[in-house]
Amino acid sequence: MINIPKPLEQTKSIRPWWIYFFRNRAATVSVIAVLITLLSALIGPTLYQRLLPIDQRQVRDGIYQDFDAINGSPSVDHWLGTDYLGRDTLTRLFMALRVSLLVAFVVESLNIGLGCGLGLLAGYFGGWVDMLISRAADMLFAFPGLLLAILVSAVFGSTARELYGGIGRLLLVATALSLVSWPLMARLVRSETLSLKSRDFVMASRGLGATQFRIIFRHILPNVMWLIIVAATVDVASVIVNEATLSLLGLGIEEPAASLGLMIFRAAGKIESHPLQVFIPAVVITTLVIAFSFLGDGLRDALDPRSR
Amino acid sequence: MSRPVLRRALSLIFVLFSVTFLTFIVSYLAPGDPIRNMMGGRQDPVRYVFLRHLYGLDQPWYQQYLTYVSHLLTGNLGYSFKYPERPVWDLIATGVPVSLQLGSLALVISVLVGVPAGIFAAVWKNTWRDTTIMGFMLALYSIPSFVIIPIVWVIDLALYRAGLPSLPVAGWGTPQHVILPVLVLAAANAGFVARIMRNSMLEVMGQDFVRTARAKGAPEYLVLRHHVLRNALLPLLTVLGPATAFLITGAFVVENLFAIPGIGYLSIQAIGQRDYPVIQATTLLLATAVVVMNLITDFAYTLADPRVRFE
Amino acid sequence: MPHNKKWIWMISILTILSMLLAACSAGAPATPAAATGGILRWSLEGINELPALDPPLAGASQSVGVISLVFEGLVRLDGGLNIAPAGAESWDVKDGGKTFIFHIRKDLKFANGDPVTAEDFSYSLNRAFSPDFANGNAGYYLSNIVGSTDVTEGKATTVSGVKVIDPQTLEIDLQQPSVYFLYQLTFPASFAVSKKAIEANPTSWTDTAYGTGPFMVKEWKHNQSVTLLPNPNYWLGKPQIAEIDMPFIQDPATALKLYQTNELDIMGTYNFPTDQISSVSSSPEFKQVNQFFVTYIGFNNAKPPFNDVKVRQAFAKAVDKATLINKVLEGAVVQADTIIPPGMPGFNDAAAKIQELNVAEAKSLLADAGYPDGKDFPKVSFTINNQDPNYAKIAAALQQMWKENLGVDIQVSTEELAKFNDDLTATANNPTDNAALTFYISVWGADYPDPQNFVSQQLRTDIGNNNGHYSNAEFDALVDKADVEPDQTKRLPLYQQAEQIALTEVGWLPLYYGKANLLIRSTVNGLVVTPQGLFPSVDWTKVTVGK
Repeated sequence: MINIPKPLEQTKSIRPWWIYFFRNRAATVSVIAVLITLLSALIGPTLYQRLLPIDQRQVRDGIYQDFDAINGSPSVDHWLGTDYLGRDTLTRLFMALRVSLLVAFVVESLNIGLGCGLGLLAGYFGGWVDMLISRAADMLFAFPGLLLAILVSAVFGSTARELYGGIGRLLLVATALSLVSWPLMARLVRSETLSLKSRDFVMASRGLGATQFRIIFRHILPNVMWLIIVAATVDVASVIVNEATLSLLGLGIEEPAASLGLMIFRAAGKIESHPLQVFIPAVVITTLVIAFSFLGDGLRDALDPRSR
Repeated sequence: MSRPVLRRALSLIFVLFSVTFLTFIVSYLAPGDPIRNMMGGRQDPVRYVFLRHLYGLDQPWYQQYLTYVSHLLTGNLGYSFKYPERPVWDLIATGVPVSLQLGSLALVISVLVGVPAGIFAAVWKNTWRDTTIMGFMLALYSIPSFVIIPIVWVIDLALYRAGLPSLPVAGWGTPQHVILPVLVLAAANAGFVARIMRNSMLEVMGQDFVRTARAKGAPEYLVLRHHVLRNALLPLLTVLGPATAFLITGAFVVENLFAIPGIGYLSIQAIGQRDYPVIQATTLLLATAVVVMNLITDFAYTLADPRVRFE
Repeated sequence: MPHNKKWIWMISILTILSMLLAACSAGAPATPAAATGGILRWSLEGINELPALDPPLAGASQSVGVISLVFEGLVRLDGGLNIAPAGAESWDVKDGGKTFIFHIRKDLKFANGDPVTAEDFSYSLNRAFSPDFANGNAGYYLSNIVGSTDVTEGKATTVSGVKVIDPQTLEIDLQQPSVYFLYQLTFPASFAVSKKAIEANPTSWTDTAYGTGPFMVKEWKHNQSVTLLPNPNYWLGKPQIAEIDMPFIQDPATALKLYQTNELDIMGTYNFPTDQISSVSSSPEFKQVNQFFVTYIGFNNAKPPFNDVKVRQAFAKAVDKATLINKVLEGAVVQADTIIPPGMPGFNDAAAKIQELNVAEAKSLLADAGYPDGKDFPKVSFTINNQDPNYAKIAAALQQMWKENLGVDIQVSTEELAKFNDDLTATANNPTDNAALTFYISVWGADYPDPQNFVSQQLRTDIGNNNGHYSNAEFDALVDKADVEPDQTKRLPLYQQAEQIALTEVGWLPLYYGKANLLIRSTVNGLVVTPQGLFPSVDWTKVTVGK
């Protein structure tokens, strides 16, 4: 038998992006942290409640107030203690994580949809489309950071709640926060699209008579995908903080729903007597923010064609 | 003035007008009747009509907007809803210097901390020193100020109880009042600056002219000083705009928790009280700050780097 | 290595820094020379700016507090909350309580030394009723004065019922005889202001306001603080305190921290972080004072299901107030079972039992009303505003109590204060309106210490403040009689009977009385705390701050 040597090309081929990614230790740890958070937000409450017999589960539903255990310390019933209304802190933490991640998901969906869509349009078509979109983005950029989100959620918060309840309020907060996010995404995608548009392979494709639809979706979009993923991941960190800030200022999520910002805000007055009630959500939010930052960095290093 | 500069100035004006329109529309569409709210529990139909007219709220929306803009152009920001007959300008005038002091001090300190941190991290690239510095800077950047502030308070209170020197936990007026909020506000921005600085150092250090300089046998510190630092400081200018926005956002939390009577505090209070004339004024003011800083950034960048054209 | 250049760089940065720091401190007042009475640092919580310093515009309690230090009227309240002379040395009542003749104190002076005569009081009253102050409170408190409404509506330029007889004598005529008119004069609307000061600087005279009160304004730093100096011409003598510094602090928790680090001498007057009471309650500097206000649940009596008295009674008897007050609110307030608060003339402890917790009775009442075990009970919204953090706690706890005790699921709706006020007004105007509230938390604070203010003015059929449209003919007859009864011993029992009816039928479901929680440093001498919490009766000439 003759051993046929493998063709040289195959060994030289570009390794998949995740090899680069998992070489980055911080990014790897961050992925694990984010996955654990996600998982505990999803199944944590149920699991934690099921540990008790069925007739006692109510004390861990995060809404039930145990009037005899207000500001309680950690115990067998309440692993992380109870809050100022006697509600289970661990369950509320899970609830808050759900809110944080749900808001982040909605904001990033809007961010990707709006920012990427408008950025592609502006970059590819130029002219008055570009003009219109860029000016709109400029306008939103002029609002420093959270100001517009604060304004919108303050002004329309109660209307949203009245019409659609707590979930309406949550969606409003997410929409308001996406107003802060999408202009940056649009700007990034636009400039990347501009540079791709004049590249040879796009020119060639156009020369061969490809439709604009095909050029955008087959040639440009796949090449800006990495940028979108990286920008959205990095943005998650600030969305989580922004949501907490809004709730802290009394303009975001409202009781009985839970939010990390709200948990910190409500417990801040008792930081001396019940430090755990501030400490726990504070550690969780900081961990999440750092994890998403590392994750974004890792993804950029792994995905950015220029960094390889 | 050259044409690009003129174009930028025009677009700046356009952006600010859109800002006034957007804030106006949001305020106009807001639920709740400001006059009724102003009158509190004691409602009188005659006074209601009178006040509604006084504040021009009985006009159609486009007329209200036109009146608002024409007043704006003459420097009249209108009257506060919350504090009857107090001109908005009076209310915000006291906040401007406070916010300026807070913001500029925080900016200076964050640059003083962030730039050296970034430089050293880049020089010591991928060593434990780099990891430590950047880890610390990332922590500063990532820990939200509303988490840092309660911790600072507890430490300060403990110091006071122990009879050790402590700082005021809130308020404004003396140099002691300034220290804690400025440090908290500077912390996050320092992390941001350090990151930019490190990246830009690394980028410059990898460029041909630096390699050439090294190849010529120039001592490393001279290479860094003459070739790298000079070029790496340039991108820092681009941070000026975003950093301003960053500091303003940070100031919302810092000013509110430290009860500092700056624009951020005033905005949040006005938003809480639905004092729309004040909201419109502070929003416009902050937006102007951001837009102008961005313009200065671009302009400075063009002057500093001849390769970049002012567009 | 050339170090020198680096140092130059460092030094230049440090110079900038110190310049900025200097700029920061430039605005701060220079440390005043040590004075005998010391400086009193007294926080105004809950505001980021003093809403008003002009007496007719006094509305918010913080404004009333500061205005009462700077200005004074014809009469004032003493420590026993009785009427005592102030600008007027004495007075006569004529025409069966319809005419009041005030004798102005002879050497009464404004803080700047200008003499004060009946003319000044007349000017102040006329000014308060002028259309410029249509938004003020004179009309609300003093519209009983003959001709006052004509001035507010622009039909006349002077109030015909206010007459200057001679520089030392002022006559005020009323439309109706009134027992509480003198109390109404203790509210800032009628306080003496200086025509000279106002005309010299119509828009910003309050920045250095002065009147006939114990203090005068040294500086009003907008959005920051107001500083007061003693009035050297105060009729009781110049106060010993060298200065009162009153910073505006929105968040009471911040004020507490400042107190704890010795940056304040008095805090909590206007708002206290009630969740932190347990951490300071053992301190001798901590004071609690009952206040004349009642936080209650109001019901829309014109709309199902609360138009049925049995449903209201069931809801009232299903509330475990002791748990609510002592556990959920950590005892920061006092449980309320009556409409007239303790300390107010007419307070009746016996009425406290009427709405006592009784789960079994509550259940049967609800069953009688057609909702056994809460079955088929309509979806109702319990509306609160977001201004008071306690309301959210109360609503959450009540939600659970009504669920457990009555089997009723209620929905809590939190509204911005502006929206809440809108909806409450809508309820008052038309209780069957779509925007009308179903039931809500509201609060009433005494304008003056008289039960009329709590009973007749809150629950009489069709009276302006009766937002929930409670109506009972017997109640109306009792209060109508009481309001015009001149004999206090006959008057009070009438209010008490009316109160019993309203409690039995749950016109109000009182939750708690106000309690002022205060911290006063032990170095402050001479302050007496009264139920109104604002030290109205303090003799400021005797107050000092030690070191």
